[in-house]
Amino acid sequence: MNRWRVMYKMRTALTPSLIAIVGSLTVCPVVMLLLGSCSEGLGAFGTFTLEKYIKSYTDPALIEIIISTVVFIVGSALVATALALFMAYLNTRTNIPFKALFQIISIVPMMIPHILFAVSWALLLNPSNGLINLLLKQIFNLQHSPFNIYSLPGMILVEGLLDLPVSYLIMAPAMFSFDVSLEESSKVCGSSNLRTLFKITLPVLRPAILASITLVAIRSLESFAVPSVLGMPGRIYLFSTHIYRIIATGFAADYGMAAAVGMSALAACVTLIVLYRHLTSESEKYVTISSRGYRPALIDLQKAKYPLFGIVALLSFVLIVLPVLVLLYTSLVPYSMVPSLKAFGMMSWKHWLAVLKDPISLLSLKNSLFLGIVGATLGVILTLFVSYTIVKVRTPASGILESLSFLSFSFPGVVIGVGFMWLFVRTPLYATIGSLLIGYIATYLPYGIRPLTSAFVQIHRDLEECSRVCGGGTFYTLRRILVPLLVPGIVSAWILMATMFVRELSVSVVLSRPGTEVLAVQILRFAEDGLWGKLSALGILMILVSTTLVVLASLLGAKLTKVREDG
Amino acid sequence: MEIRIKNLNKNYFSEGKTITALSDVDLSIPANKIFTLLGPSGCGKTTLLRCIVGLEIPDSGEISIGDEMVWSKDRGIFVPPERRGLSMVFQTYAIWPHMNVFDNVAYPLQVRNEPKDEIKRKVGKTLRFVQLEGFENRPATKLSGGQQQRVALARALAPEPKVILFDEPLSNLDAKLREETRKELRSFLTKLKITAVYVTHDRIEALSLSDAIAVMRAGRIVEIGSPKDIYFGSEQRFVVDFVGRTNLIEGKVVSVENDATLIGTAIGTIVCQTQIAPPVKSNVTVSIRPEFIKVTAGECREERNTFRGRVESLVFVGEAYEGEVKVGETRLITKIAPTASLKEGDEISLHVDPDYCSVLLR
Repeated sequence: MNRWRVMYKMRTALTPSLIAIVGSLTVCPVVMLLLGSCSEGLGAFGTFTLEKYIKSYTDPALIEIIISTVVFIVGSALVATALALFMAYLNTRTNIPFKALFQIISIVPMMIPHILFAVSWALLLNPSNGLINLLLKQIFNLQHSPFNIYSLPGMILVEGLLDLPVSYLIMAPAMFSFDVSLEESSKVCGSSNLRTLFKITLPVLRPAILASITLVAIRSLESFAVPSVLGMPGRIYLFSTHIYRIIATGFAADYGMAAAVGMSALAACVTLIVLYRHLTSESEKYVTISSRGYRPALIDLQKAKYPLFGIVALLSFVLIVLPVLVLLYTSLVPYSMVPSLKAFGMMSWKHWLAVLKDPISLLSLKNSLFLGIVGATLGVILTLFVSYTIVKVRTPASGILESLSFLSFSFPGVVIGVGFMWLFVRTPLYATIGSLLIGYIATYLPYGIRPLTSAFVQIHRDLEECSRVCGGGTFYTLRRILVPLLVPGIVSAWILMATMFVRELSVSVVLSRPGTEVLAVQILRFAEDGLWGKLSALGILMILVSTTLVVLASLLGAKLTKVREDG
Repeated sequence: MEIRIKNLNKNYFSEGKTITALSDVDLSIPANKIFTLLGPSGCGKTTLLRCIVGLEIPDSGEISIGDEMVWSKDRGIFVPPERRGLSMVFQTYAIWPHMNVFDNVAYPLQVRNEPKDEIKRKVGKTLRFVQLEGFENRPATKLSGGQQQRVALARALAPEPKVILFDEPLSNLDAKLREETRKELRSFLTKLKITAVYVTHDRIEALSLSDAIAVMRAGRIVEIGSPKDIYFGSEQRFVVDFVGRTNLIEGKVVSVENDATLIGTAIGTIVCQTQIAPPVKSNVTVSIRPEFIKVTAGECREERNTFRGRVESLVFVGEAYEGEVKVGETRLITKIAPTASLKEGDEISLHVDPDYCSVLLR
């Protein structure tokens, strides 16, 4: 009786305590950001002043920053969505060959860290010694490099390619559930395929297209890798790099001003999120799923079949193979040169050895590994309880918890990092690996919650209740029924969080201090110093580390499920 | 074991509205009988079952199982489900997908920390009982619907409980399998001498399985009795209508003679057998089940309860014709033997035995 009472109390205390934990993780940095933006500086925290707002918003450079940011996010949103639309259409509606490739394109690029993708494009297309530029100069005997990736169009292209998978994951299901009879009736009326596409298909898909544009806009507004690696060398500053410039370069880091600028970046993000939510709820009303389970004949591409497939193949090569190849090549050659017999002859492990002897690189490797493993484990434990409460407890309080835990999804990493800076500055956590740990978990909470909530949803209430009726108490049921059924969800949440943490850049550039360097920040330092060889070696180490974590976690998950089946 | 329920109340709150699931339920479920809670969906039958098993906490009242009080608002007693020692078969079967058949069935025994040999013996015995011998190592996900149902039953029976609860266990099976399983279940349960509480909305299931039926409506128990009492003897319009198809004819009591009541209706005077006669001139409803209406082509020799009508429609449903007969302006549904050589438009005679005409209370 008593024991049960205690458990009952624990269950009722669970929701408020989770709200407290998640609330302090996601709301605190925002509050601190607000307070910080109205303070003199990290040292004079608490005295109210509007000075920082006046200073940052009267900066004449700000206009240019705003214009660049808007062009960047709109441009990359359009590039990503147009490409995704093209690919989704080809995959779901035409007889293009090798459809398995589309599956790969939608998943694999997410495994390649954004900073490495951006770096690989810098290696290919930078104006001084980009490989493609060198090659073209050689062939056509040009005086100047034909391409400059350190420009807004270059940034838009790379960011657009990076966000292509996200956009594709929105477009493909929408395209798939599209009621084809709408198109067929148009064709019966005498329209050509192309006319039908523009008059019927695209207008009906409008909600999905708008949702994709908004989501990519949010991601590119939050993006730090592309603006820092490709924007800063060309002196093109966006919101995120502007904030970074305020705190990380120059003589005096001004966290008050960073917070003041951050407030408007945050406001822009929140507005876009609200817009996105609105659009997705609209598109649900628009659903045109046909219940007849009938798929029409695919459009025969005829002669265009292989040329179109060529484009898709090229895209997947550019998205997946090229970045890794470029990094591998650069890590082995002594300096940037066009691949040739001479280049292959000069290949050596020089950069690799240099990296492996560099104490800061080794420290960053160690820190990132620690953050990946410990951070993901702690994060999964927290999200396990949060998801349980969201899905299974279902009270108004758990609704609050759900909103709180998805709050950080809308925060740009750099901005949230500044908020955490204000939070930690007076605490012993300042400049420790612990501050990074907390910042990571707070920022990437939704990535753990998504797979776990869907895992909990799949576990029918009866499975749990039946165990209780059979005599299993709360913890017995948890151990024998819930946890084993959750293993796949736990594994994917852990993998998502661990890979996010190993590559984390935007929160880290603010919170990382000497002694708490992490891989992505170290890579950014190498990029700033133009040490491409060392960068590439470290970058490949980073990919290896995340791949190893993914493989180990999957194996462990498979083993856990296996044992349960045998036993 | 006997289950006694006193004054049980349960309300749900959803979107600012209060929904009454149970209202003043008083019930005594006899030991070693199959007791069915029957009612339309939303009548509170499943809530009542879940209160008995402990998965739902009532707002007030008392529940005792055997000699033990398991829930009492006033005395502050709540025994959690895992310590009530009951078994339950869920509507979804709740077969754990990550375990094989053996582990599913052994689970309640493993919880009780029984020795391994004992568990093995009992699981083997139970699986033999439900005719699933040799399925021990089959993964739970590789079972058909009927097999899953048996595994769920085996798991409920394995710990040899005194009480077993069923929440619509047959509703996910197809019609033929449902019929077979119903018969099997009846024979299993009578063999075992066990108290079974069975929840269903299917009247045929309730009538064919149960020793006693409690009909529920809107959170209340409206009638308790044996299947025959409920089917033939009920005087409540809701119960009569719910447990079977029937013709309801409005009328007024003309006179009462000995054990028969004469009722004037639109189709003529109906003679009904009643135990407690209603007062003369009161408005009543007569219920006549279609299978008790005897249809004869042409004249009928009987005098009482004979009516002339015309066949409006005949639908062949396999074991019989479902006929709609118009007597005056009243339409009656009847069950006509498939061998009858009748066609639509034929003039016929209808006869009903007064024993099968019941007078319903308003």
